Amino acid sequence: MIVGEQKSISEIKTIIAPFKKILILGCGTCVKTCFAGGEDEVAVLASALRLACKKDGKEIEIEEFTVERQCEDEFIQEGAPAISRNEGVLSLACGAGVQALARRFVKTPVLPGVNTTFIGVLEKQGVFTEECAGCGDCKLAIFGGICPVTRCAKKLLNGPCGGSQNGKCEVNPETDCAWQLIIERLKVLGQMNNLRIYVPPKNWQTSLSGGPRKLVREDHMI
Amino acid sequence: MVENYKPKITLFHCINTFGDADEVFLTGKDTCEIQTVKMPCSSMVKDVFLLRAFEAGADGVIVLVCPEGQCRFLEGNIRAKKRVAWVRNLLDEIGLNGQRLSLSNISSGDKITASQIIDDVLKNLAELGPNPAV
Repeated sequence: MIVGEQKSISEIKTIIAPFKKILILGCGTCVKTCFAGGEDEVAVLASALRLACKKDGKEIEIEEFTVERQCEDEFIQEGAPAISRNEGVLSLACGAGVQALARRFVKTPVLPGVNTTFIGVLEKQGVFTEECAGCGDCKLAIFGGICPVTRCAKKLLNGPCGGSQNGKCEVNPETDCAWQLIIERLKVLGQMNNLRIYVPPKNWQTSLSGGPRKLVREDHMI
Repeated sequence: MVENYKPKITLFHCINTFGDADEVFLTGKDTCEIQTVKMPCSSMVKDVFLLRAFEAGADGVIVLVCPEGQCRFLEGNIRAKKRVAWVRNLLDEIGLNGQRLSLSNISSGDKITASQIIDDVLKNLAELGPNPAV
């Protein structure tokens, strides 16, 4: 899932300062799961902003609404009536959701209320960790399902650096050494021979070089 | 200190710590207005309920939960404690002062402690003054 974190109240107050009627639009998919922008977070933020503005003597009308997914037009459409009633939209979706809204509602200012941080998993209740860098050239089959591109601080592809201690990374002792995890997992899978495979220097062309990436599926196009 | 100030308090409580019969003694408090919200377990006190109590005009909000280790649903009071801490930070960020919100552990039917908690909150609110967002 996309993991994000809500911006601070003071930053959001600055962002919405020019508006007197604003819609806080939540997204019920990824950012809901990481407690940044679902229906509950919309309600809390709306309440907090109302209190903050009242305390500062600023008049503002805040409307709340949440769509299932802000990165798809057919779900965004459900928010259209609420969007048209307001001067601006504070989106609690990830950056993709904010931009999808901006594309759909050209004349409405769309403002971000969340900092999109990474693609990750729920490690345990309340803890989210980055597990995928979206590099566009997945080699997880060789590494026993553990990504060194994302989880090794040095992004090493051909074995550990030798600096880890007690299974922890020398760059950040709170982080598990990705290569320790890879080796342990390969042992369990009986695939230790994978360590003999030479992985050539990574081709980053499939990653963020050269502007935004695009995926085209002709078979689904009309 | 504000003169003629009669603080409004919203009191959220778990029914296992503070029952209907215990609420009666609150009517005897004439130095404040208390509104009670009872819940089957304190874990049901969501962030937004606490904030909305302030939006509705409360000067202070109290959450009464069972003593730690004695929650009928195992960890409801721990969850409530964490949420209250989160909302207190939010209130500080808003500028409302997190001290307006407090959580106390209290045994079932312990009216003396409950009364003491409310007195302490009233003393605190006398310093803080009325809710600035009303």
